[in-house]
Amino acid sequence: MPAAKPVKIGPLSFSRKRDANDYLKDMLYKYDLGDKLTDEDAAILTHLVHMHPEAAEKIGVGIESFSVRTADYGTRCFWVNRIDGTTEKFSFRACY
Amino acid sequence: MKDTELFDWLTGEALHDDIIRLAQITVATEITNLDVINESADPKKSFDWQQLLLAGSLLARSVERTHQEAALRIATAAVTLETSPEVRDAGAVLLEKLSNRRSVELAIQRNRVEPDLEGRLGVSMRLEANRRRFEDSILLESSGKWIGVNHFQRELWAGASSGAGWLSASAPTASGKTYLVLQWLLDHVRTRKTKIAIYLAPTRALVSEIELSLKELCRSDTDIEITSLPLMDVYFASAAGDKKAVFVFTQERLHLLANLLGEDFSVDLLIVDEAHKIGDNQRGVILQDAVERVSRQNPAMKVVFVSPSTQNPGELLQDAPDDMPKSSVDSDMPTVLQNVILAAQVPRKPKEWSLDLVWGDSTIPLGTLKLSNKPAGLKKRLAFIAAAAGGRGGTLVYCNGAAEAEDVALLISQLEGSEKTDDQELLDLADLARKGVHRNYQLAPLVERGVAFHYGNMPSLIRTEIERLFRSGKIKFLTCTSTLIEGVNLSCRTIIVRGPRKGRGNPMEPHDFWNLAGRAGRWGNEFQGNIICIDPKDDKAWPVGVPKRSRYPIKRETDVVLSSADELAAYLENRNIDTLADLTQGEEYEQVGAYLLNTYIRLGTLSDAAFAKRHSADTLRKLDKSLEGISALISIRQDILVRHPGVSAVGLQRLLEVFREYEGNIENLLLAPSESVDAYDRYVTVMRRINENLYPVFLPDGLIPLHALVVVEWLKGLSLAAIIRKRIEYQQRNNRSFRLPVLIRETMSMVEETARFKAPKYISAYMDVLRLFLTEAGRDDLIDEDFDIGIALEFGVSSTTLLSLMELGLSRMSAVALYEKIARDDLDKEGCLAWINEHGPNFAGMDLPNLIVSEALQVSGLSDAEAGQKLSE
Repeated sequence: MPAAKPVKIGPLSFSRKRDANDYLKDMLYKYDLGDKLTDEDAAILTHLVHMHPEAAEKIGVGIESFSVRTADYGTRCFWVNRIDGTTEKFSFRACY
Repeated sequence: MKDTELFDWLTGEALHDDIIRLAQITVATEITNLDVINESADPKKSFDWQQLLLAGSLLARSVERTHQEAALRIATAAVTLETSPEVRDAGAVLLEKLSNRRSVELAIQRNRVEPDLEGRLGVSMRLEANRRRFEDSILLESSGKWIGVNHFQRELWAGASSGAGWLSASAPTASGKTYLVLQWLLDHVRTRKTKIAIYLAPTRALVSEIELSLKELCRSDTDIEITSLPLMDVYFASAAGDKKAVFVFTQERLHLLANLLGEDFSVDLLIVDEAHKIGDNQRGVILQDAVERVSRQNPAMKVVFVSPSTQNPGELLQDAPDDMPKSSVDSDMPTVLQNVILAAQVPRKPKEWSLDLVWGDSTIPLGTLKLSNKPAGLKKRLAFIAAAAGGRGGTLVYCNGAAEAEDVALLISQLEGSEKTDDQELLDLADLARKGVHRNYQLAPLVERGVAFHYGNMPSLIRTEIERLFRSGKIKFLTCTSTLIEGVNLSCRTIIVRGPRKGRGNPMEPHDFWNLAGRAGRWGNEFQGNIICIDPKDDKAWPVGVPKRSRYPIKRETDVVLSSADELAAYLENRNIDTLADLTQGEEYEQVGAYLLNTYIRLGTLSDAAFAKRHSADTLRKLDKSLEGISALISIRQDILVRHPGVSAVGLQRLLEVFREYEGNIENLLLAPSESVDAYDRYVTVMRRINENLYPVFLPDGLIPLHALVVVEWLKGLSLAAIIRKRIEYQQRNNRSFRLPVLIRETMSMVEETARFKAPKYISAYMDVLRLFLTEAGRDDLIDEDFDIGIALEFGVSSTTLLSLMELGLSRMSAVALYEKIARDDLDKEGCLAWINEHGPNFAGMDLPNLIVSEALQVSGLSDAEAGQKLSE
């Protein structure tokens, strides 16, 4: 059985991928739909979105804030709100 | 012998058999495909007309309905049957004696009576006719013109013009109430100091109908502004004396204007149409609240209540301010004959149905109705009997529910009498149904055959056009639901009905049935109306039999609920239960509970309220006690509570507490503008918060996303067709099956019930409490003063241009269609008119439905010809 792969997001370290998943999932579900994230959570997500394979496209002109909103067909997702008013969703699982 | 004894003797004995035979013959002429039981002899010879007409003129003097009916029956028979010209003249004179001038005009129009009736009368008869004509006229003070009226109309006019401050009038459906009230309203506004008048009607459909009639009546008069929108500008211009204003509103819209104006709001004259609807279980309370609210702001306000065939119109006057002079006008006089006909299948012959006319406590056989096909199943029974008996058109078929109405209409359209037409007006309506709803909307192919269905939640432009074409006779068969008795002014020649239910499955009470049946007979268009009741002996269809004629008892919903004080008190005490979804009996008690709590907070005791005189001291004490404890927990100011009738202060307070305890970013409590990318998500969250803390409104919980989606699309100004299209695409993307007619009806009902009723009511309450909280939290910067969510939702608009288009008098459907072509989103009324004037000539190239084009040209004053329109093509 291969050793669990540790995940590091900014100041946070998780010994297993599953722990990172749980942490982010809890964050995703503690908000109501449409809510903007608190500054602390936004700081973590800023690190996270930079780890996304398409980080440059996701971030675009720059990050203004993050929201929790629906993605296609009723699923929940984190969204980057850019400084030019555009917005883009991203999957946290794709980041590590 | 006293007069009444004489009248009873005439109708009960002397002429009893003759009148029955007359009824048999006259009714038979109304029904198609009828094998008449007794082929009658020549009416010229088989009746002693001189005797009958003399008796008729005596009976006309009676104040009893049965006597008047007998007189009307004689007059109608004399005029419509193959009698001699002299008898027909005399029949017309008898109609005039019954102050039924409109039927005389109809007789002349149908060539039953020669014109210049007066010229053929002897001197004394002529003098009497002149005197009668003078008595049956009223003078419009504003123009010096005389208009002809009947007894009821004359009394109503006199009552309204008298010193009485509060007046309540009731008369059967076809008595010309609305016509007269509108005439009086305009005359009053023109000649008195009255600056601001409000006409309340219970449905948006009726509001647009009244608005249109008023505009037509004072087309050339620019001193009176008539609008159905809650516009502050119009109000202030009138208050300043520049112009006079008549607002035509539903009760909700009245509250919207009152909310905008606050303390400034003062109304001089209030007219409440269909006033018996103060007994409705949800909106009746909002209506009562509206009347009380404007009356508190101006206790000297004049009020006129109008209701159809009610037992106790005076009931509505009880809550008038103490020193206010009151008067009620109550008429029960028939203007057209109403024949109740029972249809039962002939044993062993499903295609043959025997028809019997109800006559007092017995029946008179009329004959056998022949159907062309075997009516298997109830829908076919309705459809086939309607098609067979109602071949003369003007036939209304009452169905239990929208789905049944669609099915029955489809059946009728396949039968003889519903051939495909190339009538332009029908084709235009079909085109509008396809473009405005969906290309496969069932209404379109039916309309092309002169058949239609009609139910609530249909877009108003389509519904009013259906009604108009049914009135004009182009739509011969119309299937309808209980929406029709909920405030649509539509009469017909014949109604076909079997086991009528009201709303969700409850058998109709006799007065509801008669509110429906009363629509048979269009005064001035027909001499008789027919109500055909199928399977009268079937006790599933008719649990108490075919109801006897009965008038509607006015009973305020608040009084009904107050009479079960214990349950109500228990409900109120339990109102702040942890999980609101567990609240039971909200249907019955929520509205009235909210009303009572606000009343208590305003007065400090229910015993000081106007309704206190109708309830026992014990009841009031009990409720006072419950309300005392509850109100102690409410800190929200009265002026905010009063803005949200029917929304419980307990819920509002709880919402405030939730805001206060909210730990996240305060901005997360706000809604987003409908154009914003997160609008949908914000609405989902706000709706959920409302369900959990204010009241469970958007149900079931799992459907909140759909509610939110429709509300956002509605606010964005999307057309109904676009909203339907998007739902279909959604279903298809997700591989979900759906049935198109169901999906269309569900979307329509979601637009009407969620987006236009529940969302404005509860979301605007949410926003008000939020505003209160933001001020308290020092975050006034987040409040957007310019945007009123209540108004935006009521009208389904988010841009100035769209609202301006609707201010011009366009329906939302037309406004949205035009707005798709208009680039700018900030046009005012003049800007929109200029746009229509400039682009009108090119409308033909824009692929707009003809009905939308005509509506646009009508409000702009451009004629079709000027617009070079395809209408003529």
